[in-house]
Amino acid sequence: MIPNALCFGEEFPASGAPCFVQVGTEGLTIAFEANEDDGVKETTQFSALTVSAGGIDHDHLVVKWNSARSERTLYLRNPDVIQAFREAVPDHLDAPLAQVAERVRQVRHRRRLVWGIVGGAILSTALSLWLGLDILVEVAVSRIPVEWEQKLGESAYRDFLAHQDVVKEGPGVAAVEEMTHRLTEQIQNNPYKFQVTVVKSDVINAFALPGGYVVVFTGLMKKAESGEEVAGVLSHELNHVLQRHGLERIVKSAGLLTVVAIVFGNQQGLIGMMKQLGVELLTLKFGREQETEADLKGLALLQRAKIDPSGMIRFFERLSEKDEGRMEWLSTHPMSAARADRLKTEQAALSKTLPEPFTFDWKQVQASLGSQPVAVP
Amino acid sequence: MKSEILYPGAFPMVRVELAAGENIKAESGAMVACSPTIDIESKMEGGFLGALSRKFLTGEKFFFQTLRASRGPGEALLAPTVPGEIAVLELDGVNEYMVQKDGFLAGADAIVIESQMQSMSRGLLGGEGFFILKISGKGMLVLNSFGAIHKIELKPNQEYIVDNSHLVAWSSTTSYNIEKATSGWVASFTSGEGFVCRFRGPGLVYIQSRNPGSFGAWIRQFIPVSE
Ligand SMILES: [Zn+2]
Repeated sequence: MIPNALCFGEEFPASGAPCFVQVGTEGLTIAFEANEDDGVKETTQFSALTVSAGGIDHDHLVVKWNSARSERTLYLRNPDVIQAFREAVPDHLDAPLAQVAERVRQVRHRRRLVWGIVGGAILSTALSLWLGLDILVEVAVSRIPVEWEQKLGESAYRDFLAHQDVVKEGPGVAAVEEMTHRLTEQIQNNPYKFQVTVVKSDVINAFALPGGYVVVFTGLMKKAESGEEVAGVLSHELNHVLQRHGLERIVKSAGLLTVVAIVFGNQQGLIGMMKQLGVELLTLKFGREQETEADLKGLALLQRAKIDPSGMIRFFERLSEKDEGRMEWLSTHPMSAARADRLKTEQAALSKTLPEPFTFDWKQVQASLGSQPVAVP
Repeated sequence: MKSEILYPGAFPMVRVELAAGENIKAESGAMVACSPTIDIESKMEGGFLGALSRKFLTGEKFFFQTLRASRGPGEALLAPTVPGEIAVLELDGVNEYMVQKDGFLAGADAIVIESQMQSMSRGLLGGEGFFILKISGKGMLVLNSFGAIHKIELKPNQEYIVDNSHLVAWSSTTSYNIEKATSGWVASFTSGEGFVCRFRGPGLVYIQSRNPGSFGAWIRQFIPVSE
């Protein structure tokens, strides 16, 4: 006969004493020897017992009472004993027992779900070998709520800005706000509240974090020869956000299991992981396809906003000449003449619209940013 | 079946004596030497899908070995890969242990090994990965550790905090929560030692005195990087 419960208390080892539990009409009897006649037997009235759920998966029935010697705690897993116990106990234990049963059901349900995920993982491994991982990544990304993305981006954004010299007002900020407004007005069903910040730094760069947080450095504004050039970079960055390129990279680097977890609905705990990856958001490099997509969608957005797209192309062309000192944007945006050429072809295909100029004077905006145009190291 | 730990300390071995017909499950690669009466069979525990999921998701070895004394009584010598102590536990049919995936060395035939998926947060933050082994049944269970193995005994509701990378095995009557040891998520994730488990009794928690991950990191600094 195998013991059917573990008994804990002062006089027992910490691992618990294996024991034999019997449910009677009046109470619970425990014995520590297999043979009925041997050893100590204790019977406790039902009225003296309290019950709860316990153990690593909260699926043990834990019965407690005070014996003459110490507090006793019984851990039960055996379904027959639990069943007998449920049938015999008086009313005062019904409610807590129902809670325990509910808890056990939840654990079982979760386990089934989890094995569903495992099955899914194996299936999707096979699928991804067959179809390529990209489709799964796309499905996973589409299931991540925008609020998550915002939380993720926002924390990285705040961490970053805390160490930066933010330009809070002035012609530079007004100009960038005007560009952002012109562009975002033309985005349909926009779930993002774009936030664009100008940071004082000679670095020639701009970047966008998931959730719509964009940073433009004054170095880039000084380098640009017109507002349209900056608007081109902005339009490109906004489209990285709109196409959720950051999330795609994150999900890809987080691995298959994460993808599967998102697809199959268990999204708990992922925020923690996303936060971890948030640390790396600032150095996130996009793939070539993503860059092309951001370029082309960016161009189309400029067109809709009636901002002259030639600015974007000119800026890209100049960047591709690569003789411009600290071009940080280049490190995340490898430039090539081919990239600018592609945009030219695309632009030629677009219908001609008459661009509407910005209200600011670009030379004055630049002048407000400080004297030294570019620091060449 | 009888077992004896030889050379206790950093480089132990366990000798298991098997009566004719008896068998023992061992982590593949654990067998050092054995009598000629013993046959070694590789078997997939938990069926094909079970073995496959273990392989894919825990990075664990595909097979357990079964050492069977099919041609008369004999003995087998088993040893773990990493330097560290061995502990032998006797399961009585009601005791169950959760064992971190590298902690299992061997077990009697009547013990049941299941891989169990942890909750998302435990899997992500706990450091033992998404899967742990749940070991139940009756008979001998041999655990191995990295460094010395230390047993913590917890009375009902008694709490103890353990760095997750030092966990070897714990009774299923315990429960635990994952907690942040340092303030700030960034610190937690970058230091790698930011997470601890707050265990609550009753039950036993076995821990190892060395952290395999930290040891690996320490040793890497001496390995020349080839370009
Ligand atoms: Zn880009």
